[in-house]
Amino acid sequence: MKRILYKIGIITGTIFMFTSCGGGVPEETTTETLANDKVFDVADVLAMIAEENDVTRTLYTKAIVGAGKKQGLKFDEDWQKDDVEAGPLPALFLRGISSDIQKSEVPLGLYLGSDFPINASNKLEGKQAALFDKIKKDQKPQHFFDEDQQLYTAMFADIAGAAPCVNCHNDHEQSPKKDWKLGDVMGATTWQYPSDKLSYEETMDVIKAYRDGTKAVYNAYLSEIEAFKTSEKPTIGEKWPSSGFHLPTAEVFIDSVRLLTSYHTMEMLLTKAKKSSGEVATR
Amino acid sequence: MFKNPLRKRQYIGSLIGIVIGIIIYIILPQKSAEEYLSIGPANTGHEGLSCNTCHTPAKGTVLQQLQSNISYTFGQRKTSADFGTENVDNEKCLACHDRPNDRHPQYRFSEPKFKDAIAVIDATQCETCHQEHNGVRVALPDANYCINCHSDLKVHKDPLDIPHETLISQGQWSTCLQCHDFHGNHVYLTPEKMKDTIPLSKIQKYLKGGKDPFSEEKKYMPLSEEEWLKLKKEYEE
Repeated sequence: MKRILYKIGIITGTIFMFTSCGGGVPEETTTETLANDKVFDVADVLAMIAEENDVTRTLYTKAIVGAGKKQGLKFDEDWQKDDVEAGPLPALFLRGISSDIQKSEVPLGLYLGSDFPINASNKLEGKQAALFDKIKKDQKPQHFFDEDQQLYTAMFADIAGAAPCVNCHNDHEQSPKKDWKLGDVMGATTWQYPSDKLSYEETMDVIKAYRDGTKAVYNAYLSEIEAFKTSEKPTIGEKWPSSGFHLPTAEVFIDSVRLLTSYHTMEMLLTKAKKSSGEVATR
Repeated sequence: MFKNPLRKRQYIGSLIGIVIGIIIYIILPQKSAEEYLSIGPANTGHEGLSCNTCHTPAKGTVLQQLQSNISYTFGQRKTSADFGTENVDNEKCLACHDRPNDRHPQYRFSEPKFKDAIAVIDATQCETCHQEHNGVRVALPDANYCINCHSDLKVHKDPLDIPHETLISQGQWSTCLQCHDFHGNHVYLTPEKMKDTIPLSKIQKYLKGGKDPFSEEKKYMPLSEEEWLKLKKEYEE
């Protein structure tokens, strides 16, 4: 009996020594210590970033694609192919942002889908298709928890907010629907995040990841222009296509996005932050 | 020296064990010993890479890793720690193979609508198709995986002489790769006649590690081991 107790003592002591002495490998996340800093609901953060996305894409569609086409700039779904000298269409601009976000360390997912997409792979299916039917009726966002992936998910209406959206989709030979009108719900963006609450830092990371993505795709477009062999290259600087054969630099483009989105983003950050007790954060 | 022959045998045994241990400790980490340590031949294009290009050392010392995992076992920390080397995951693959023109980036399949497809073939993980140490490009037995997402494909103004819808209705899923390379990196014009497409036998050989039938030209090339190490060093600095 004594021997057994002795052995149990040795094992317990060893485990205690291994788990309590010194430091192990630092854990990637320290959620416990951050629990009180989780002041934003994921639904609010996703709504905020979806709004940034709306503004960004509308600016790109109207001021770059719409105005650029009038100046002779071309935009194509195969814009990254070597034999195509064109810029990304708005849907592919969003795809590029989404791709860049995925490469960052921020666990944010972004997808664009529709019931009548030009590319069949963007057709909404299953639960997303069912929720999209609701979105088409009332244009209200739909939030749900994706049990399979354990991700908080939100879908937002993607509305035809600029003439180029409607014209391009109606004129495209692969388009399954040719009677789009301004104001139609043409599709939906789907956003995903792994936790129901976010801290200030995590929320800033989400905003930064989205804006970095925008900058990366826009810069990729400027790099494609740089490599044009036969097409005329627009001047890149402070000016926009509305004033001639120009394109703004990535910084100028992002500055305009910031200008257009900052009010609403700041409002959300100031009004939606809640302490765990329900108080509005004062810092 | 030893009155008890049992003690003598124990002593000699221990000594032999220590000597063998030291030899293993010195020889096995040598680059020349890598092929004996590998569980199988490296996949196509990875043949010249050192083990530690992918199997990078895990964070912390062995003792720290041990302590972390014991703590994790007894519920004293939320996550386990990699032991010895880090897990080889998508992040590792994309460090060299990430490209802005990927037609099927793995993250794309995280969207909820691909739930049923990834239950059959988990395209969110590079390893599902490119399982390492098999000496091939693609480790899947058949080249018909497009069926999982494209079964209701409709091509308006189809340019192919045998329409895509006909091929799909006939279940000819192996023909997809005869025109379309999955990741879309080859500089290659898709033919408009089935007779001009790449024969399936050539595609199958390519997937098993053979000659590239699409084109020698690619828009983006993966990083070499030297480029990757240089980038890693710059990042760490």
